[in-house]
Amino acid sequence: MKRAFLFFLLAGCATPEPVIKDAVEVDLVKAITPTPPTSEPSPPPSPVPFTSKPIQRPPPMHTIALPVEGKPIVSFRLVFQAGSIDDPQGKEGLTSLTAQLMAEGGTKELSAPQLLEALYPMAAELSASTDKELTVFEGRVHRDRLERFLDIFGDVMLEPRFDQAELDRLRTDALNAVKSGLRGENDENLGKVALDALLYPDHPYRHFPGGTVKGLSAITLEDVKAHWKAVFTQDRLVIGLAGAVDDSLVKQVKERLCSLPERSADRPELPPAPGVRSRALVVEKDSLSTAISMGFSYPLRRDHPDFYPVALAVSYLGEHRQFHGVLFQELREKRGLNYGDYAYAEHFHQEGYSSRPRVNVGRTQQDFSIWIRPVEPQNALFAARGAVFFLDELLSRPPPKERFETARGFLLGLTRLWEQTDQRRLGYAIDDALYGTPPFLERMRVALEAMTPEQMHEAARRHLAPSKLNLVFVAKGANSLAESLAKAETAPIRYPSPKPPEVLELDGRIASHPLPVHSSLVKVQDAQAFMEE
Amino acid sequence: MIRPRAALLACLLALPASAQKAKPLVPYPLKKHVLKNGLTLVRVPFHSPGLVAYYTVVRVGSRNEVEEGHTGFAHFFEHMMFKGTPSWPEGGREALLGKLGFDENAFTSDDVTVYHVSGPSSGLEKLVELEADRFRNLQYGEATFQTEAKAVLGEYHKNAASPFLKIEEELSSTAFTRHTYRHTTLGFYEDIKKMPGYYEYSKEFFRRWYTPDNTLVFVVGDFDDQKLLEWAEKHYGGWTGKAAKVDIPKEPPQTAGRSVHIDWNTPTLPRHIYAWHAPATSPSTPDGAIQNVLASYLSGPTSPLHKDLVLTRHLCESVGSSFSDHRDPSLFTLTATLKEEKHRPEVAAAFDAQVKALASGKVDSKRVQDTKDHLRYALLMGLETPDQVALQLGYHAGVLGTPDGLELLYQAISRVRPEQLVQFARKHLAEKNRTVLALTHKPPQPQSEGGRP
Repeated sequence: MKRAFLFFLLAGCATPEPVIKDAVEVDLVKAITPTPPTSEPSPPPSPVPFTSKPIQRPPPMHTIALPVEGKPIVSFRLVFQAGSIDDPQGKEGLTSLTAQLMAEGGTKELSAPQLLEALYPMAAELSASTDKELTVFEGRVHRDRLERFLDIFGDVMLEPRFDQAELDRLRTDALNAVKSGLRGENDENLGKVALDALLYPDHPYRHFPGGTVKGLSAITLEDVKAHWKAVFTQDRLVIGLAGAVDDSLVKQVKERLCSLPERSADRPELPPAPGVRSRALVVEKDSLSTAISMGFSYPLRRDHPDFYPVALAVSYLGEHRQFHGVLFQELREKRGLNYGDYAYAEHFHQEGYSSRPRVNVGRTQQDFSIWIRPVEPQNALFAARGAVFFLDELLSRPPPKERFETARGFLLGLTRLWEQTDQRRLGYAIDDALYGTPPFLERMRVALEAMTPEQMHEAARRHLAPSKLNLVFVAKGANSLAESLAKAETAPIRYPSPKPPEVLELDGRIASHPLPVHSSLVKVQDAQAFMEE
Repeated sequence: MIRPRAALLACLLALPASAQKAKPLVPYPLKKHVLKNGLTLVRVPFHSPGLVAYYTVVRVGSRNEVEEGHTGFAHFFEHMMFKGTPSWPEGGREALLGKLGFDENAFTSDDVTVYHVSGPSSGLEKLVELEADRFRNLQYGEATFQTEAKAVLGEYHKNAASPFLKIEEELSSTAFTRHTYRHTTLGFYEDIKKMPGYYEYSKEFFRRWYTPDNTLVFVVGDFDDQKLLEWAEKHYGGWTGKAAKVDIPKEPPQTAGRSVHIDWNTPTLPRHIYAWHAPATSPSTPDGAIQNVLASYLSGPTSPLHKDLVLTRHLCESVGSSFSDHRDPSLFTLTATLKEEKHRPEVAAAFDAQVKALASGKVDSKRVQDTKDHLRYALLMGLETPDQVALQLGYHAGVLGTPDGLELLYQAISRVRPEQLVQFARKHLAEKNRTVLALTHKPPQPQSEGGRP
């Protein structure tokens, strides 16, 4: 804590090369000598698109209630199957902006300042967040103040004020979140959003859920009003209530929300995931260090039995913000390259400042990713090669029994910590309804208890092929780094302090370990042009 | 095994504010025990079947970094506490804790360093043994130390992408001339780069501050209290040492207004910050409580500043205060994130007007009461898990120097009167006591090609 100023349809066919909208080739990249090493396949590997079965559509206003005896707080969680994939082309950011305007912009009864004045003394919480496929409205209030809060929360959903001045204010904030927040203030988050864009060219997942500069700029108040009616509807809504909840409250909430439109506009059909591979994007940004993200999209989800052994394998490789993962131990602890190194079996967002995964950010098409926290620029290629090297090692043989037991024990305990608050319990229960699975965390624990190192290893081999990886770097001097990538230059490392012989021996192998990047698929982009449209 | 007290909690929270005055505001009774060596163990039964949170609070932070060139060492040392002991060499401890299902980490602030572990109650006995072992028997080699120094540098680099680190660095080093709050918890960049050379000093740092009398352990959740006491006596009882005494330089009174400007070369919104020297949060004065109320009163979501600058005139994306409780006199702040550079004079004028109005005696008693209600409810709503309870209790205990710190602070907040905000403004929010920080986005000048290597 700092002072308060203190983120398989294996067709194998040669599909047309998707265009990366945000990537702009610059002169130096064109000048890169196309001399790939002999080990590099040529021509570039074709993308392998795949489809995933749609996630569930629970019955309209499907309700999940989790009463907790004696608890004085009531938690509300309204999850709509509406996300940035519902943004019309040219209006990217519309779903998020509509949700924000509902949550913050006032109701017919209360202006925006009056809304804050009503919520403030009771410390009631009311917020909205939008991801690719879901928008969540969450609220919490002490039961002393429940009745007034219910009125307000209902009005936010059903009687939003939709004031032009508030739209203008929130649109400016959303634009600044792209122009300053995303492009300028957090290299790591920029790298992750850029990886999303790299994996999903010409796809509704491509754009940042908060919107693009052109999309946000084009949105009108009429767009917002129409979108509100089109996507925040009964047939897209799952209702979650927890804490000081009883049948009468459930009935009261459902009766109020019955005034939402019954049916939504046609839901967008997701095109196949592009299944790109071997691409690299280097984002030019003035930075002291280089942020790295890598990954690939894949169809593996919680509703597939292989998800569980793969989740354990990925946790073994690098559980988020934990010490015992292979990547953390090898890259940070032994080599001091950076602050941390982690891996993810499904798309991941951290919840606030905690290390917990956010809930209700489910996706039909999932991805595997590795996050290398910023490294000194001269070590960027070595760190990337290291991550790929240890992923290869993971696939080469089952893990030692002792390390397997550590990873399994840890995940058994950690999953219990993920369900400690009412909002999180609701979130997991709602995700279960959407993925159509039995209780996910319990299923995970049951699967872990019965798992063997061999099962974990075999599942990882089936789903985590390093050849599918795509890489993003956020770096100063992007052209030079792109050139090194395209030339597949080796990446020796020098340390300022002594290292044991076994580390140095492994370093020699890492330095020349191939990165799955094809020289013709290395692009450079200026951070200042990112998510322009 | 202690079982839930949720029914009691519900009764407490259902009472009207007036009836609660004499009752504790933190609804979880603390069971305190001080070992002969001075270690304070606080147990807090909490309804979390099978789960426990274990927080160790050491009263050392960047405040204690009095020696030139050693800024950031408290934070760096926090990293070293994970490097093993003769019984549990580096990696072994993490592997065992991981296998038992424990999630752990740590953080450092200006005043305290907090080590936190959460997980199954069934592993508590082993956890007490492992935690006591590292606080008593930490051991690491120079190469390990040097490698970790690079990880800390990586942490600095990670944070440096955001303007917040630079703002904190510049504000602290301008407002403070002598007190150790003049550097951030991460430390001066130049000092961080030199850290690999301070191996011997790190051992001295451990001897000085990692002592039982300077440490509090908070255990919150589902556990057998008697067994916990036995385990604590067994594993911590032999820990020896007394915390060092160092003179932390006193900050002389500021006699004239100061200012500092930052040009930031990557895109960011302009910032405008007022920071005044202000008293510490202490159990013996109302000053901390007054500042908690004042920060929200002046810049919270229902404040005139928010209404005017954010909601009405759209000059700012946000206004707020970065005030946080500190052991020594620190800074009370008003902060604004501007939408455009040209609005800076109007934002400054709005800040001035609000401070002037308060100092002249204009105070909205209803908003003061609303603010106090907000703080009380927000505290209660933020105590939903053992981790949340342990964090709040532990942090405030470390800052206020007593296990009851959180309760004492919130009792003091409940007693804050509107006129105390006026008196505080008159005494402290004066121009001569203020530092103004302005941050502007200024793209780097294009370099000529010839200037590049």
